[in-house]
Amino acid sequence: MNKLFALASLLLALAACTGSTGGDLVSFDAAAAGPADAVAGQPYTFQTSRGYAVTLTRARIHVGAVYLNRSRPSSVASDTSCQLSGIYVAEVTQGLDIDILSPALQPFPAQGFATTEHASTAEVWLLGGSDVNEPNDPTVILDLAGTAEKEGQSYPFEGQVTIGQNRVIPAPPSTPGANPICKQRIVSPIPVDLTATEGDSLVLRIDPRGLFSNVEISNAEKAGDDPPLYRLRDDGDDAPSRALYSGLRASVGTYAVTWE
Amino acid sequence: MEKHRLAGVALSCAIALFSWPALAQGSIVMPRVVSQVTPSLPEGVTPKDADVILAVSLDVAGAVIDVAVLQSGGVDFDKAAMGAVHKWTFSPALRDGVPFAAKIRVPVHFVAAAAPVAPPDTPPPAPSGAPKAPPAASAPPDGAGNKPSPEKPSPGGAAGDKPSPDKAPPGAAAGDKPSPDKAPPGEPGAAPKPPGPVDVSVAGRRPPAWRGAGEFHVDIGALKLVPQQNAAHLLQLAPSIFLTNDGGEGHAERVYLRGFDAREGQDVELSVGGVPVNESGNLHGAGFAELHFVIPELVQSLRVLEGPFDPRQGNYAVAGSADYELGLQDRGVTLKYTYGTFNTHRAVALWGPAGESARTFGGVELQTSDGFGQNRASKAASAMGQYEGHISETGTYRILATAYANDYGSAGLLRADDVAAGRKGFYDTYDFGQGGSGSRFSLSADVDGRAGDVTFYQQVFLVQRGMRLRENFTGFLLDAQTAIQEPHGQRGDLIDLAVDETTFGARGNATLRGEILGQKQELTVGYFARGDRASDTRARIAAAGDVPYKTDADYQATLGDIGLYADANLRFTSWLSVRGGARADLLTYDVLDRCAVKDVSLPSETDPPGDKSCLDQQRFGVHREPYQRTTTTGIRAMPRGSLLVGPFRGFTLSLSAGTGVRSMDLRYVTQDATAQFASVDAYEGGVSFTRDFGPLKLAARTILFGTHVDRDLVFSESEGRNVIGGGTTRVGWIGQARATGDFFDTNVALTLTKSSYDDTGLLVPYVPDAVLRWDGALFHELPFEVLGRHPRGTAAFGVSYVGQRALPYGQRSDTILDVDASLTVGYRNFDLGVSATNLFDSTYKQAEYNFVSDWHGSGAPTLVPARHFAAGPPRQILFSLSANFGGNKP
Repeated sequence: MNKLFALASLLLALAACTGSTGGDLVSFDAAAAGPADAVAGQPYTFQTSRGYAVTLTRARIHVGAVYLNRSRPSSVASDTSCQLSGIYVAEVTQGLDIDILSPALQPFPAQGFATTEHASTAEVWLLGGSDVNEPNDPTVILDLAGTAEKEGQSYPFEGQVTIGQNRVIPAPPSTPGANPICKQRIVSPIPVDLTATEGDSLVLRIDPRGLFSNVEISNAEKAGDDPPLYRLRDDGDDAPSRALYSGLRASVGTYAVTWE
Repeated sequence: MEKHRLAGVALSCAIALFSWPALAQGSIVMPRVVSQVTPSLPEGVTPKDADVILAVSLDVAGAVIDVAVLQSGGVDFDKAAMGAVHKWTFSPALRDGVPFAAKIRVPVHFVAAAAPVAPPDTPPPAPSGAPKAPPAASAPPDGAGNKPSPEKPSPGGAAGDKPSPDKAPPGAAAGDKPSPDKAPPGEPGAAPKPPGPVDVSVAGRRPPAWRGAGEFHVDIGALKLVPQQNAAHLLQLAPSIFLTNDGGEGHAERVYLRGFDAREGQDVELSVGGVPVNESGNLHGAGFAELHFVIPELVQSLRVLEGPFDPRQGNYAVAGSADYELGLQDRGVTLKYTYGTFNTHRAVALWGPAGESARTFGGVELQTSDGFGQNRASKAASAMGQYEGHISETGTYRILATAYANDYGSAGLLRADDVAAGRKGFYDTYDFGQGGSGSRFSLSADVDGRAGDVTFYQQVFLVQRGMRLRENFTGFLLDAQTAIQEPHGQRGDLIDLAVDETTFGARGNATLRGEILGQKQELTVGYFARGDRASDTRARIAAAGDVPYKTDADYQATLGDIGLYADANLRFTSWLSVRGGARADLLTYDVLDRCAVKDVSLPSETDPPGDKSCLDQQRFGVHREPYQRTTTTGIRAMPRGSLLVGPFRGFTLSLSAGTGVRSMDLRYVTQDATAQFASVDAYEGGVSFTRDFGPLKLAARTILFGTHVDRDLVFSESEGRNVIGGGTTRVGWIGQARATGDFFDTNVALTLTKSSYDDTGLLVPYVPDAVLRWDGALFHELPFEVLGRHPRGTAAFGVSYVGQRALPYGQRSDTILDVDASLTVGYRNFDLGVSATNLFDSTYKQAEYNFVSDWHGSGAPTLVPARHFAAGPPRQILFSLSANFGGNKP
């Protein structure tokens, strides 16, 4: 009997220190870039669905953070919380100004952290400060300039986008918190199908074409005549500005997240 | 004083007791003298030959609790003999390896001659009621095997009395393995004294029958010398128990037992003197148990039963149960003051009137400390008093009162990445609002006795408990914006929990003893009943302004637990017995949720709720009251049993199986739904070994165990508590050994456990795979004299090793190796000591977690799980001075 106990004890001792709770925590490098077909240092030209040939000479986006989430929300329309209800599996929390005319990978200033769980959703936080709920944020999130041509007409343009009080959507008195500012700053849900592994790098690619998909540049505010200049306003008071802002916040078409 | 010593005093019995072997009489082992003091006659008393026979009552630890004169040798000689024997220490009497209180007869023979007599080297007298005097030696305690009367000494052997099942059986083989041990050098000599019969009887409460290898009767004994942070840490003297504390000095310890993360007692039934400590109505966790109200010096022993194998075990005995037995060995008045690192002050006053039992005592403790690192200051005070009296020759009663209050800060947890980056120091805190305060007042009374073949026990208790707890695990993460609220950012996740609970109840049992098949048989029926009235509120506190901005919960509850059990101790042969029975508990819940509605999707446009937490409207603003009452009831039957085979040459094989339950939290109560219990099925097999080798007493055991829980608890950082999870299975092994000698006591235990989820096979997080604990103490007179007396010296140590704990996301924690030590020197009435915890000042993490938190570092919020830890305390050195007056210090 004693031998039996001794044998069982030995086997248990060997087994006790094995096993896992599953998954892993990993750190990773993260970077962002413009479209792969862009040429560093060169303007980037593309065609929009509105029939414009847009040549961007300057396009920078400030991304405050990138997250991956395990869940894909069925509906976000009534959700007033900034964060998704699912479990976040990756994060890059140090912001970066990204030249989206360059295909070169531009590293985020700090490493990101992830669990090795599958991600179904990505979020891009267009955040200048550290508080996504802060109503005032003067950080220029999008800064661009270029020329659009359509039907032989040329439309030089420029624009800047900030997300602060200018983007607040009024809420009914009975539900004053129905439209929190944080929802304006978070691009979500961006569909992904990713699982991190140790050694991977997270790459965020931002495609300028997604920004201009519905922008009728010719209707933008004319800021000057000689030379002509159209301005995409920062308050969303006109349709082209609202369209640009929508493109900036589009969960499909503008942002792509991959592990490389 | 030396001149007053009677050189010719003969301690006839003592010398023989030193050489007295263990009297293994079936399952009874007799007490044995561990240390003795020579009687001193008062100045002016002329030495002469005199015989004094004393009846000495020993408690379960072998401490002398009462001495009475059975045969007088004269007033001065009686006093001298009683005074000396009061200071002796004995090994406890054992029944089936379990210590029990006993009475023995001790004859003391005084002689006028001064010449020391050589210690005896002859065997003790023959057993079987026909003791013989050892040649040229003093008399041993009387041989068992006479027919002593139950519950009281029987002068002269009381031949013809009816045998008691509590006593050594007639004709038992007492002394059949004589020891060649000798009395310590220098003992006074003696004229031979014919031995009389010893009378070993249960003089006090009979503990429940031993349930096999998983039951540990932890006699604190000399291991009390090992530095312990508080009374809760005494639990670690039992194998496989490991404690951490990430909530502050006044916060209850988190208990790990046999692979269970039992949090603050949710899976361990804890009681002190039979009074339940688990708080059924505590929103922090049903079963929350804080033991800091117990003054460590007043703990005499622990009964730890790992696993639910005894029908007496009730709610929360999922991983096991532990009962603190209180007592004070040092009689008289003891004053103790301690000062040390972190500006720690501790003052203790204890008193135990001479002539009363060790279970009559009073004590008060005051302590204050700045604590280590940030925000760990604490203050606490405790008072405990108990009186044990006799209501008849066979019955006793006890009244126990306790009072306790504390206030403390807590550093909480830190993110490892912040510490690594230098943003936080290892002993820092994020939130200085963390901490708590509490109070506990209790009163209990119990009575035991015997009527014919039936013994009975009855206890009533009343406990008033208040607790406030402020914890922040997640920083600024959980303050989700709702539509009805004004827009806001994260205001802070500091939890402010307040609990006010009154517990009242009773327990009792009756045991019928008889003889069938030539063996003693027992049947016990008993009950346990408690009611709890609890009020719990939990709010979130804004970091800016320190004001509550949200009510998470507001409950008022009336809870009931009434259990009935039957327990049999059936002996088929002298080596085969079955112990067990069944228990059934009815648990009732009546919960008034005073904040039943916290959100509404379509509020009234004319009377919007705004930022109110507890709403009084439904969709479209339809009125409703903000409260809701729910009631439910559940009943659960729990069979439990043990098979014991042995002892054979000291070895006993045991197999045990049983079912236990943990009741649910208030918040899970659902109207008209059957109350949901967490149920555990446990089983174990073990081999125990107990044997005396002369002065060396050795006990060891090896145990294989397994448990299955259908609804286990999983830590939730957002709730700051454990929440219901899935089913889990644990298997493990425990090895334990304790060796006790005349000058040392050491205990070592190793536990290996594997805990996994049933559905995935993945490990249960936070549970250590391996726990090793080694305690040791040396105690002896120092080899030199000061003014004619030998100072006393003690040295003690405790070593804890905790293996890597599984953490969520495939991580493993660091290991822990902690060494504590103490040294004391005693002289006359005084003891001077120094103790060190974390002797080598290792920097370690006593608790580690992986979860999500955001503490407003640079950049966007952190939403991915990260490593958090609670810093283990650095080295602490404490100096203490104690003095005992009017007691039994030599």
